[in-house]
Amino acid sequence: MEELREYAKELLEKKEVAAVIGYTQVSENRTKPIIITDPADASKLVFNEYCLNNLSVYLTKARINAMCRTKDKIMKLAICAKPCDVHSIVALIQENQVHRNDIVIISFNCHGAVKDFGYEFSGENLASKCITCETHKPLYFDKIFGEEKETPKASDAALARIEELESMTHEERFEYFNNEFDKCIKCYACRAVCPLCYCQRCITDKAIPRWIESSSHQRGNFSWNIVRAFHLSARCTGCGECDRACPMDIPLSLINRRMAMEAKKSFSYVSGRSLETPTLVGSFNEKDSDELFM
Amino acid sequence: MKIGVFICHCGENISRTVDCPRVARVCESYPGVEYAIDYKYMCSDPGQNMIRDAIREKGLDAIVVGSCSPHMHERTFRNAAVSAGINPFLVEIANLREHCSWVHDDVEAATQKAIELVRMAIEKVKRDKPLSKINVPVTKRVLVIGGGIAGIQAALDTANAGYEVVLVEKEPSIGGHMSQLSETFPTLDCSQCILTPRMVEVYQHPKIKLLTYSEVVKIEGFIGNFKATIKKKARHINEELCSGCGLCITKCPTKKKAYNSFEEDLAFRPAVYIPFPQAVPNIPVIDESVCMYYKNGKCGMCVKVCDRGAIDFDQKDTMLVADIGAIIVATGFKLYNIDKKAADSKYKGYGEYGYGKYRDVIDGLQFERIASASGPTAGEIKRPSDGKVPKKIVFIQCVGSRDDSKGISYCSKICCMYTAKHAMLYKHKVHDGEAYIFYMDIRAGGKMYEEFVRRAIEEDDVKYIRGRVSRIYEENGKYIVKGEDTIAGMPVEIDADLVVLATAMIPQENSAALARTIGIPYDKYGFFNEAHPKLRPVESTTAGVFLAGACQSPRDIPESVAMASAAACKATILLSSDTLEREPVVAKVNEDLCAGCFYCKKVCPFGAIEVKDVKDMNGIVYKEVAYINQGVCQGCGTCTATCLSKSIELAGFNNEEIFAEIAAL
Repeated sequence: MEELREYAKELLEKKEVAAVIGYTQVSENRTKPIIITDPADASKLVFNEYCLNNLSVYLTKARINAMCRTKDKIMKLAICAKPCDVHSIVALIQENQVHRNDIVIISFNCHGAVKDFGYEFSGENLASKCITCETHKPLYFDKIFGEEKETPKASDAALARIEELESMTHEERFEYFNNEFDKCIKCYACRAVCPLCYCQRCITDKAIPRWIESSSHQRGNFSWNIVRAFHLSARCTGCGECDRACPMDIPLSLINRRMAMEAKKSFSYVSGRSLETPTLVGSFNEKDSDELFM
Repeated sequence: MKIGVFICHCGENISRTVDCPRVARVCESYPGVEYAIDYKYMCSDPGQNMIRDAIREKGLDAIVVGSCSPHMHERTFRNAAVSAGINPFLVEIANLREHCSWVHDDVEAATQKAIELVRMAIEKVKRDKPLSKINVPVTKRVLVIGGGIAGIQAALDTANAGYEVVLVEKEPSIGGHMSQLSETFPTLDCSQCILTPRMVEVYQHPKIKLLTYSEVVKIEGFIGNFKATIKKKARHINEELCSGCGLCITKCPTKKKAYNSFEEDLAFRPAVYIPFPQAVPNIPVIDESVCMYYKNGKCGMCVKVCDRGAIDFDQKDTMLVADIGAIIVATGFKLYNIDKKAADSKYKGYGEYGYGKYRDVIDGLQFERIASASGPTAGEIKRPSDGKVPKKIVFIQCVGSRDDSKGISYCSKICCMYTAKHAMLYKHKVHDGEAYIFYMDIRAGGKMYEEFVRRAIEEDDVKYIRGRVSRIYEENGKYIVKGEDTIAGMPVEIDADLVVLATAMIPQENSAALARTIGIPYDKYGFFNEAHPKLRPVESTTAGVFLAGACQSPRDIPESVAMASAAACKATILLSSDTLEREPVVAKVNEDLCAGCFYCKKVCPFGAIEVKDVKDMNGIVYKEVAYINQGVCQGCGTCTATCLSKSIELAGFNNEEIFAEIAAL
């Protein structure tokens, strides 16, 4: 922890970065994001199993980018990122939202995080994404902290749920999602926390033409959630922030994960894992399977 | 806004299943529609006059025509509207023929559908914006890819029209497959004799820049403004210095090191070679894979004998960049390679015929070389294995072609003719020989073609057997050909001395990769697609790229030459004006909303999308957005569909217009 704080302090003091985006403790078992520009504040930084937020969402925010712009150059930004958050950063780099050279990735050896604030870290309370996680060490980083530790074991309930949904008939599945989406209050928290929902103006906010009905009745809800799933297919890195942010507990990441499984099965592609692999969306390979053509 | 609706009967094509007067009547009552009428032939002169008069008299602002596909007559109706003072992009076509009358029987339902289709067009035209044509400059130079007969003809015609030509050929000499042929059907004139003068003409033409042993590696830009990157492979011979004396070739100690591909591997060549004596340019190439100097750094015999000092072992591949206005693709074909080398996984090959296993089972091009006066046997018909004169030859047509189970369903078109020619040439040279031809049908459509085949049968006693061959095997120096005669209804067995397979014509290797480099579509076999099979046979769908010869589908020489002249004509039409008018149906990015993810750039098939920097007031780039070059954009709409935030609009088909169309349904 001290090393992290020292490093952040040094970055700020030497003016290598305009700001450090990280986590700070608010109470026991609870952290919140913090954006530090004053080296003296570096002591507030923490990293532990309760650092849930995927901070990469801030990288594309206009106000944060404005902080980096000085009169004659653009300063770097340092960001604390769990190995899984690095996947999001990779996806953002590939989609030209962030340049690798403009950021300093501070990452950690990770052994999992708790599923939500208010829980004690244990196998039982492990976040869903951590159960199947294969990247306990970040794939890309500029600085790494923390010791390697064993991740608690837990069963993959989400996969079981997906398999259960797969076994349903079309009608049953439609019914299930219709009921789930029916709960949606169109607060767009899922969009706000998603690092890959960086559009300057989301398609839902467009009025001419109105692509998606804005009122939160069944039709508008369905189209919003389906459009969201489609826009994220083969792009979503599976950080699960949408699930955590949804006040109505709609299992959004189930759809995202199912789409990611499809990308992996049909194209051997997993989003956000490599800066060298071209993004699945927008790349064409003669050998691609034709099965998904409708 | 005052809209006019014009419903065409298309003779009876539409009115047979659509109640046209009713469609007009119903549409007249829609908001915004000032005038509606139906007529038997809207595209005819009186029909167009009806449109013009109505525009003037009723003061119409926009029109909807319910007629055939916009592919047919959109331009006709737009022109009519323009002559009456309406912007052409305020004309919408509702396709009542292909989308309605032709595909339905029920008059009531079809009429209802027609009304809906017209209503959709009305809603769209209400939101249409006037657009004006885009002008782009034109570079007056043509790139011809491929130096076979088609490329040669295209280059000569274009150059004779006064335009500069860059002719790129991947082999060391131009001439292509035609230079390998012995004599040509249906006149039996010597192929070399009619071809070589043209090759020389190309070489000496002041307007043609000939780049042999070169390949096009990149095409950028757009119609009138292409930029071609051409790789000139190292010949290891200085072209400026070489006099073509050929001493290096005769002195090269690697006499028979490599198969001579011009002789279809029936002969050998040394490391330094020219493909054939009449090659143009008459400048050798050193084959690095065979040359002893590249193997062990020794030898250098060619350097010693070359008194011009033209040998340059250190020569490297060079890249040339040329500005180009139009491209003519004439890359030709190759033969279906039946087992000799690893066959393309798409094709199954003919293991049962023993090609590649028996030296005397050969393909059509190999027979051409054997029959050619300049070939490895100096024109004497001798079989490859022991050099004996074959007394019995079996020719088999449709090997590969017209056989779905082997991967190719098309007809290679030239085989019926050249097989008849082969049999004839054989009979002319070996009087006591017997020639058998196994065929499926004889396809001899073409001037003097049928007569030619009859001559083979009647005058030269070539025996045609209708049926397929199931197997060929060797027995005591003979090749037993087992097949069936479907007319006699009995099995046939012939003990042949030589078997010639008329194998399918397939596209050149890497034709698909070249198509992607240029940005033109191709079919499942790798043949390049024409823009319209009947009305635009020598144009690709990419503006400014034309097709000639067998790269588009199997073609014989007269057809290839005709296509080449047509393509040259199309290219010169393009180059004849200083600027080009482009349809304004192009995509445009809303830079305020563009998130700069550049998925559009990745999917654009025309390379029309660039990265544009947006700077703040201090001149620092703070955002990158997509920028669409209007000259390059072809209006395909792929970017529009890909853009996640819908920040790209296609002029004439913007989201609002399409939405209105759908909402009207």
